[in-house]
Amino acid sequence: MEDLRKLKREMVRQAVRENVELLEGRPPSALRRARPLRRLAGAAALVVVPLAVFASVNAIGHAPSAGPEVVVVPVRPGATPEPSLESVPWPRPRTIDPTVFRLSVGTVVIDPGHGGSDPGARTEDGLSEKSVTLDVALRLKALLEGASYRVVLTRDADRQVPLRERARVARESGGDLFVSIHVNSIPRPDGGGVETYYLGPTDDPAVRELAGSENLGSGYSLADFRSLLESVYVDVRQSESRRLAGAVQERLVSALRPVEPALADRGVKSAPFVVLIASEMPAVLAEVSSISNGEEARRLAEPAHRQRIAEALAKGLTDFAERVGRSGRG
Amino acid sequence: MTAKGKDVLHVGIDLGTSRSSISASSGERHVVDSYVGWPVDMVARKVVKKPILFGREALENRPMLDLHRPLERGLIKEGSEKDEAAVRELLKHLITMAGGGEGKKVQAVIGVPAEAMRVSRQHLRTAVKGVADALMIVSEPFAVAYGLDALLHTMIIDIGAGTTDFCVMNGRYPTDDDQRTLTHAGDSVDDQLMLLVRTRHPEARFTVHMVREWKERKSFVGEPPQPVVVTIPVKGKPTEIDITAEMKKACESLVGPLAETMLDLLSRVDPEYQERVRNNVILAGGGSQIPGLAAALERALGEVGGGRVRAVDDPVFVGSNGGLAVALDAPEGDWEMLPG
Ligand SMILES: Nc1ncnc2c1ncn2[C@@H]1O[C@H](COP(=O)(O)OP(=O)(O)O)[C@@H](O)[C@H]1O
Ligand SMILES: [Zn+2]
Repeated sequence: MEDLRKLKREMVRQAVRENVELLEGRPPSALRRARPLRRLAGAAALVVVPLAVFASVNAIGHAPSAGPEVVVVPVRPGATPEPSLESVPWPRPRTIDPTVFRLSVGTVVIDPGHGGSDPGARTEDGLSEKSVTLDVALRLKALLEGASYRVVLTRDADRQVPLRERARVARESGGDLFVSIHVNSIPRPDGGGVETYYLGPTDDPAVRELAGSENLGSGYSLADFRSLLESVYVDVRQSESRRLAGAVQERLVSALRPVEPALADRGVKSAPFVVLIASEMPAVLAEVSSISNGEEARRLAEPAHRQRIAEALAKGLTDFAERVGRSGRG
Repeated sequence: MTAKGKDVLHVGIDLGTSRSSISASSGERHVVDSYVGWPVDMVARKVVKKPILFGREALENRPMLDLHRPLERGLIKEGSEKDEAAVRELLKHLITMAGGGEGKKVQAVIGVPAEAMRVSRQHLRTAVKGVADALMIVSEPFAVAYGLDALLHTMIIDIGAGTTDFCVMNGRYPTDDDQRTLTHAGDSVDDQLMLLVRTRHPEARFTVHMVREWKERKSFVGEPPQPVVVTIPVKGKPTEIDITAEMKKACESLVGPLAETMLDLLSRVDPEYQERVRNNVILAGGGSQIPGLAAALERALGEVGGGRVRAVDDPVFVGSNGGLAVALDAPEGDWEMLPG
């Protein structure tokens, strides 16, 4: 196969030439339109050819800037798939921001639930979830700052902040942990207790309902929501978040039980809360009491009790933060 | 020390969006998923015990890493120093695995997606600086053609993850006129399949990684070789779901665009040689392994007089083997013009 050998020699020569052009910062010949094949040149001409070609090209004044041909041809598939791919944003394997999983905790983002025209759950005599969550959040902030953590609040006044905005604040503040504070309302006689959520799917219809009410007005479409969830199921943030939830729940129960012996420990659960998905850091949502339970609602009205809750949250968060720091150092 | 005194190791590298492989003159061959990750901080570094991780290992440790897939969509991202560094590290890693260490003079031919060649070759050349003693960049379909001795009257269709590259070989080094790139490729099949299954089973929980795995095990075009049944958690319970129809539809989403582009490129071939090219269509890349795809494209050729489409035997190394063949065939004098 003498012909094949010749052909290969010529191809290699052209590959080399293109690469030499590239090294010299010239536009490679293959980006210009095809030219008739030059006659095979002797090996001795190797070095001369590329330079000569360019000298002549430039002399004639062919601007090498003649843009490359458009090679990406958008071709429509025979039948348009229904539903259209464009309508749903897809989670791609993505580059993960290192700050998401920073192993030492410096910044804690506190998210007081509800606010402004959204009061959250309420008692008949006017105690609303939004004021309890803000008060507890401000107390928690002071405690954490006292322990040298940087603290970012998603709201620091009685105003309405969309969930999407809260998540953005959390992400952009470079937070290491995220805790969303809520107060439950369980529409059953004696329904009460504390529970802490981390992000995940749920089978429990009651939890689904709660997630639905906490997600209301999130500014996320169902499609966004699905793809956000999708990106979370593959990430390890879920297990970090579960550990964080465990630490918080344990501290809440052990701090509140002494004053409310009947307090129900509703445990650690997973649920698809929007703020937990979009915050992109280990994140939990604590329902720190239940406003629908008479005894608990009465307690929530006492500043000392809210301080107790804030202290429990602070201990839970620092337990987790210290454990992470230790396991990293070990 | 003069370079002459060193042993020369020739290598061909297929730098892919999803997988990269190397073939060396020593006989070594290696393949790695195209992921590169750096520990995010000192603590992470102590945990993973390495300054840099590659492939599967990088993917598995991603919570602790700054993870990069540097050639997403067939292109090196402009202006991303980290992606450039990732390309460089990936290449160095492959070369080290292939035995290119101290005392070896490494001469490398690197095959890259045609789109990267077209859009960011200058950028790419800068990025790969220093990974070998001498190096050359070629387009991946060219490397495939060269390795198969398919340089005359053939068409290469390289179906990768991010792009499908078409290249007609007509006895000249391929120019833009001889090439096309489509984004209908492995990833777009994954997207389709995900959408279709999710539309029919909104409660099912699965990830794009799972979808890709189903495809790699059960893909087909045309008649299903067997029902495609997968196990997916639905409301927390593992549930068997038949996705035969979805798999078919997702895989067949490639056929229309690929056939159309193939016929378009063919129509630009000198009429004297069209029949020969029609009978020499070669599928390469991971997507070439979809059963029934070659036959479907062959049917499309039926409209214009018939032809033959076949898939390469070794889609993983065909490109790097081709690069190695170029490296071995390049005269020593040429290598001296191509410093790493
Ligand atoms: N047996 C298979 N059937 C269908 N698709 C496959 C199979 N094996 C690999 N692939 C797909 O091929 C693509 C990777 O091909 P490859 O040539 O390695 O791409 P790249 O060069 O872009 O890295 C991926 O989308 C992968 O899922
Ligand atoms: Zn609430």
